[in-house]
This record gives sequence, C-alpha cells and structure tokens, in this order.
Amino acid sequence: MDQHMGVASKEEEDREEKRTVPEITLRPFTLSDVDGFMTWATDDRVMRFSRRPTCTTKDECLTHMKDLIMPHPWCRAICIEDDGRPVGLVSVTPAPGADVHRASIGFGVAYDYWGRGIATAAVKKAASAVFEEWPLLERLDAIAEVNNTASRRVLEKAGFQREAVLKSYLVLRGESMDMVMYCLLSADSMVR
Amino acid sequence: MQTDSSAVPPNHDHRKQEPEITLRPFDLSDVGAFMTWASDPRVTRFQRRGPCTSEEDARRYLTDHVLPHPWYRAICVDGSPVGSINAKPGQGEERFKASIAYRLAYQHWGRGIATAALRAAVSSLLEEWPHLERLEAIAEVENPASQRVLEKAGFLREGPLRKYVMLRGKSRDVVMYSLLATGPKLR
Repeated sequence: MDQHMGVASKEEEDREEKRTVPEITLRPFTLSDVDGFMTWATDDRVMRFSRRPTCTTKDECLTHMKDLIMPHPWCRAICIEDDGRPVGLVSVTPAPGADVHRASIGFGVAYDYWGRGIATAAVKKAASAVFEEWPLLERLDAIAEVNNTASRRVLEKAGFQREAVLKSYLVLRGESMDMVMYCLLSADSMVR
Repeated sequence: MQTDSSAVPPNHDHRKQEPEITLRPFDLSDVGAFMTWASDPRVTRFQRRGPCTSEEDARRYLTDHVLPHPWYRAICVDGSPVGSINAKPGQGEERFKASIAYRLAYQHWGRGIATAALRAAVSSLLEEWPHLERLEAIAEVENPASQRVLEKAGFLREGPLRKYVMLRGKSRDVVMYSLLATGPKLR
C-alpha cells in the first residue's frame, strides 16, 4: 500500500508501476477474439518486426486466425485481469524434424498496453507452461531483430540468455535481417 | 579471428599446398567409396545418424537420400571420391538460406581437402542459387577440427547455441557459422 508522505514524485510513481507485476492469464483463442486480435494485427508499430504482414481488414484478420492461430500447436491469447478481451498473443512453435527437445517462442502485444510488463509476464508464463506440458522440451529459443530493443528487453527480463547474432537470418518485409538468438533452457529456467 | 587465407598469400607456394579437388554428383557405382567414410565411426562420430553397417545399407541411403537430394556432391581427389558435401536449401520464405554439411574419409584428414571442398561448394552454390543470401553450417562444440575447417573456408563464427540439435539421442551444444553472399569474395 502507498505510504502517504506528501506528494509522490513522478519517478517514484514510475518505479511503483514497473514493480507491479501485471496479472495476466493465457487462454486459447476463439474466432470471437477477432476484435481484440485486430488491435495489434492491424498496427504497424506492433507488426513491423513480424514475419506476418500487417492485416488491413477484419476479413484478413479472420483468415489469419483460421489459418494460422486456430491450428497452431500452442498459441495463447494474453488477457489482463479486468477484461476478457485479449491484449496480445504468445505462441510456442516446436522445432521441425528430429529436434523434439526444442521450440521457439513468439509474442506481440497491442501498442496501448506496452510498458506495463505484460509481454514479459506472458513469456514467463508461457515458458513455464510448455516446460511443464512437454517433458521432452529442453530448449526454448527466440529470435529478435537486432534493432527490436523492446522485444529484446522482454526476453532478457524473462530470463532468456543472448547467444549469438545470426546475420541475414530472416527475411522481414522483403529484407534479410540480422537477428539475435536468445535461449532459455529447462535446466536454468527461472520458473523451476 | 585469423586472417582468411584467400587474401593475398604470403608466398607463391601457398596455393600449391592446397589440394586439387573436384565436386560431382554421386551415382550408385560410388557405393564402395561411399562405404569407406560412411561406415567409419571416426567420421560418423559427429553425425546425426550412425555408421552404415553394410553395402546394402549404403546403397539404400544413396538411393533414398543422396540421389534425390537437392544438392549432394562427391568430393573427389584425382577423380576418386574421398568424401561428400551437401547443401540443404530452406523452404518457402527461407529459401534465401541453405545449410552445408560435409564428411571426409579418415585417411584424407589434415590435408585441407574439406576446406577446399567447402570453398568450391560455396562458389558453386552462390552461382547456381542467385537468390541465396546466407549459407550456414554447424559444428559441435566438441568438434574443434570441424570448427577450424569452417573458419579456414571463410565462415564467420556466430556463437555457440546450447542444446540446439538432437544428435545420436542427446541434445548437443553446437557452434553456428555463416557465410553471406554479400561478404568478402572467395578466390
């Protein structure tokens, strides 16, 4: 509880906000989440580092949800406690072929909800869940574009370790980009 | 990182020391030569699959995997196959990159053959696949010989990736290497 020692400074208020861990829940998507989904999927500020193109219409969003979100092996809506509507997405994709011990995490949060620790909380919660649900999982990794400082900070705060810069690793918006590889091992996962 | 030896050589004899190798596709008549390295645990030690146990096994592997492969070549010295090198292109939106792997018969180690084969393969691939931007290769952390080969061939060490690949029943730490199409030209 706040101690009322006169007027708190702006800095103190900011620190207080950052210390407050947001209560978030993760749940599967349904098509009725499309309005929430649209708040980030149509926003270039969120989608600019995504492999997926920014959606422009509700129909595009519905198609995207039907084709990519609903059949995904592990994709969750990020919901904050006071509202059932999703404010973001976190997904964990198993590695192809024989590498059953490895999976990659991705996430996105609607722009208006940035700066509250939501993505960090969601990534931690997702990591904990998949390490629990997939006993063969040993390595969870994530790649973020070198200049995507917001996402890189999320991964670092969630306990991922930076491993390497992979040059021209992914094509985003027609351009090959250098990506930073991050990893969280089940062995040193913070949630254990 | 040491200087790439494809830059100005320190002496005229430098090039004479690098073996003359050629790359060509395999055919079934290569099965005998193929067995030489494919059945040798010293060579297969760092591979995903274990050694070939019989000529039958090797023939099946050639037919099912090598011959239909997008890019699989025999490394030849004086026209005889002494190893193999292959490149696997990415699918769909990843087709701008390819991963390279190679193996060499044990008796030919230590002569620069793998390095020469990598250079030749890179040169061919960049020409045959003009959309290629990134070539990558991995070497297990416990395989410094292969790491040196990749470095001598001009690949850049990007960093160790922990428990990245499942090999021989266990998740292994590997070092990722890359060579970019836009990088320094190889001779």
